[in-house]
Amino acid sequence: MRFNEKELICLSRQPSEMAAELGMRGPKKGDVVKKRLVKLVVNFLFYFRTDEEEPIGALLLEQCRVEREDTQIFSIAFLDEAERKYLFECDSEEQCKDWIDSIIKASYEFMRRNLIFYRTEIHRLTGKDPLEQYGISDETRFQGNSGSQLVARDTSSL
Amino acid sequence: MKLDEKVVSFFESCNSPVDKEGYLSKKGELKTSYQKRWFLLKGNLLFYKERPGEKDVIGVIVLEGCTVQLCESEEQFAFSLVWSEPGLRTYKFAAEDQASQESWIKALLSASHSYLALLVVDMEKQYRDALVSHPSEGHRPFTMPNFHSAGPNYPTTSPSTNISIRSSFAGQCVGPGASLSSNQMLQPSNISAARAVSKKSPKLWPKKNSSMVPVRTPALPMFECSGLYLDPEEDFIKLHEDFGREVKKLIADWSRKRGGGEVGLEETLIDFG
Repeated sequence: MRFNEKELICLSRQPSEMAAELGMRGPKKGDVVKKRLVKLVVNFLFYFRTDEEEPIGALLLEQCRVEREDTQIFSIAFLDEAERKYLFECDSEEQCKDWIDSIIKASYEFMRRNLIFYRTEIHRLTGKDPLEQYGISDETRFQGNSGSQLVARDTSSL
Repeated sequence: MKLDEKVVSFFESCNSPVDKEGYLSKKGELKTSYQKRWFLLKGNLLFYKERPGEKDVIGVIVLEGCTVQLCESEEQFAFSLVWSEPGLRTYKFAAEDQASQESWIKALLSASHSYLALLVVDMEKQYRDALVSHPSEGHRPFTMPNFHSAGPNYPTTSPSTNISIRSSFAGQCVGPGASLSSNQMLQPSNISAARAVSKKSPKLWPKKNSSMVPVRTPALPMFECSGLYLDPEEDFIKLHEDFGREVKKLIADWSRKRGGGEVGLEETLIDFG
């Protein structure tokens, strides 16, 4: 599959709050734990050999399950194959928690759900659709599950 | 650099929302000819394959760090995705008609993760404000969504994963006096999307003072090469004004090119009545 590699590499160079050396093990049988600089940028997890400019690889953090495996170890499982997991060893329980948290929240789909939640709630509380002011209220990407558009209700009685 | 293609392929084929799909002609990487492909936009990823039913994905374009622009082309209804850093490419496309062109441009403009992140931050603040101004209504607790459609419920192995949204973005502080509900960063749709694009548009991810960036939010991308620094409280309003100026210029250029009448530049783009 072709992809815009150079642009993705450029993306990996962005500063990120979640960047640390972790022990990383790939999903295949026989993969061993290796020390990698792991970096979270938007919904991608990049991993580098320490002190190398260009990442070895990139993982798209969508449709994945992040789980705590041990006090300091978390895993990211993709597809429906629970066995196909990437493992990450952290230095502390807290660091492990931070990573799990951050990866979950980095997913585009997670953020979209948040947005839809806020939009629905704001509309419920105020009667107004907060996306209207940006002119994006009819964008498919921001519709709720029902797909129905939010209609401003008459709030004169409130 | 390796990309875990299995994961990407799965994402393309799974039942997560498709934000837009349709035929577009794409200019070849080496050849100058345009090839018709079926495009699928999901989140910040633009997939393309030969035709809709096709299982094999030819390629994917990650939509971060690029701008969407109208472009000069032998083809009609052309537009491009441009990465402005040296050495990075431009993807050229041609739509089938003007409506499709505008619709694609509009969809691609709002596709990046960074855009969504900014939007969510703003919505979260509006939500908190709404709770304050409508306290009796209370709020429904939000539990972590179930990511895995086929799998078991979202892991409960760690108690920290069941986080209420209010605390998850707690670190994002905007000055108490700022009213972001009037932020006008994002392009209104009543302006033709085809006109909303400019080569000089400031990127939606300005470099921020690190003390303003909270610990727990999704990393707001800060391009090392972006020279744009904005005071967070004026971010959106300024971005809107900048966009507005460029949009007016584009509208004027566009009208002149089409031989139409001059569009009144004095008109405000958005009338808040």
